[in-house]
Amino acid sequence: MKKKKNLNLIIGGILAGAVLLLIIVGIFWLPYDPDAMNIDLKHAGSSWAHPFGCDNYGRDIFSRVMVGARTTLFVALGTVGIGAGAGILIGAFTGYFGGWFDEVMMRVIDALFAFPSILMALVVISLLGSGKYQVIIALGIAFVPSFARVVRSEYLKQREMDYVKNARIIGCGHLRTMFVHILPNILPVLIPTVMIGFNNAVLAEAGMSYLGIGVQPPDASLGRMLSEAQTFLFSQPLYALYPGLTIVILVLGFSLVADGWKER
Amino acid sequence: MKYVGKKIVTMCITLLLVSFLVFLCFSVIPGDPALSKLGTEATPEMVEALRKEMGLDRPFFVRYGDWLWSFVKGDMGKSYSYEIPVSELLVDKVPITVTMSVMSMLMIIGLAMPIGLYTTKHEGSIIDRIIYALNQVIMAIPAFFSGILITLLFGIILKLFMPGGYVSYTTSVAGFLGYMIFPSIAIALPKVAMTVKLLRSGLLGEKNKDYVRTAYSRGNNTTNVLYKHILKNAMLPIITFLGMTFTDIIAGSIVVEQVFGIPGIGRILLTSISNRDYPVVMAIIVCLAGAVIIINGLVDLVYQWVDPRIRLEEAS
Repeated sequence: MKKKKNLNLIIGGILAGAVLLLIIVGIFWLPYDPDAMNIDLKHAGSSWAHPFGCDNYGRDIFSRVMVGARTTLFVALGTVGIGAGAGILIGAFTGYFGGWFDEVMMRVIDALFAFPSILMALVVISLLGSGKYQVIIALGIAFVPSFARVVRSEYLKQREMDYVKNARIIGCGHLRTMFVHILPNILPVLIPTVMIGFNNAVLAEAGMSYLGIGVQPPDASLGRMLSEAQTFLFSQPLYALYPGLTIVILVLGFSLVADGWKER
Repeated sequence: MKYVGKKIVTMCITLLLVSFLVFLCFSVIPGDPALSKLGTEATPEMVEALRKEMGLDRPFFVRYGDWLWSFVKGDMGKSYSYEIPVSELLVDKVPITVTMSVMSMLMIIGLAMPIGLYTTKHEGSIIDRIIYALNQVIMAIPAFFSGILITLLFGIILKLFMPGGYVSYTTSVAGFLGYMIFPSIAIALPKVAMTVKLLRSGLLGEKNKDYVRTAYSRGNNTTNVLYKHILKNAMLPIITFLGMTFTDIIAGSIVVEQVFGIPGIGRILLTSISNRDYPVVMAIIVCLAGAVIIINGLVDLVYQWVDPRIRLEEAS
């Protein structure tokens, strides 16, 4: 019998792919300079020249969405990189070795878990100041506990397995056992976790930039555009929809891919 | 009883750790609060005197102990920029944020339970599929964007409320509650979608277990089995999830308050961060994190009360 098509994976792939394509094209070519102002085009509606119209400074919204999505993607990737990297290390060591180190780390992780990730990021931002790289560090730290927990519980399960004992018997060191033998075996759990983490990072970055404490001008960001657009919600409601929908499509795409991945 | 005691001790340790981490973070920041308060014109003697007055010249752990002790007594220090005690600054803002959180929580429970049960009962029907697709989309909408969409739809197109026209609860309680409905929806929507998804998969997961077959074989109809037998078992993960949702509601309220122009805790937190008003920031963060820890602790207690198996496992 033919295997049922994994609809989630296909639709999710198309949606996420579309936004990613927009971002990649945006690196090499933009229809207009995203920061070029043109007073004649103030609040211009959609046209062939400006498919999404122009904002209050006459800047092309389409170009700004392309650049803003790039910033958002960059921050999200950085966040997941820090969060997953540190989370995997902490989770692997605590789960594999256990003992007092595990006990202490878990208490600290529990304490960190009590902070909603945006609150945690706010603490770091108030210490470091705001900006693109500060947001990556702030969110990266905020995301470590969730990754550490998932990885730790997987290592706890895996370390009792026969293949781990085999690896030890044939003379593998602890580090080799942990990262060459066990790590590939937790990938089925880790990959969806990373994708969901990526989504949360996109949402958190947008939220922080929306609040004005994330990415700072001149960097365009989808969250920042939304907060600028909100002022003109009465006169130009579509301005808010474009950056907002871009976020929704990106996040929806990745969450469908994550769901589809689990179903495989 | 042993379990309750153990739980309370862990909660206290976590609370202590949180307060310590927050205090540590705000002690190591570069920049001297005394200097920033006096400005660039200050002489070293003036700075030294103010440092003494603010207690900054004492060792770190003494300051921490002192801060913690007065915090427990309800004295959260004094705001740098408003020159009034932090507790005074926060006292009239707490009801706003609490109302919003409680309203969204009620919406989440009130909407997710019936929808989750309905989709399980009619699994595979067209409505079930539509709700599944809608759920996926709603989960992807960040709270502030749904806030903007709600403002656009209910505020500007349907004119049900005045965007930005926040009514204080001291002026009119009805007007206040009426305005708060919309931000609460914005916070609740994505969480409703997640709860429905979790509840549905939980209920479906229980459907094929032995006790369900037994319940059917004793002559129960579908409705009875679903409500009396399956729901009880599927509720357990939902309780934990709702506890965790509380964390997200708090995080969501910080952002959504900004969308709807509500002068709650989130607003004052953001202003204080940009003003570098650290006593206020510290107090709010410790309080919010404390609320999260206590609520999650209570959820764990409810959990073991609902499911005695956990109590026995933990005790042995």
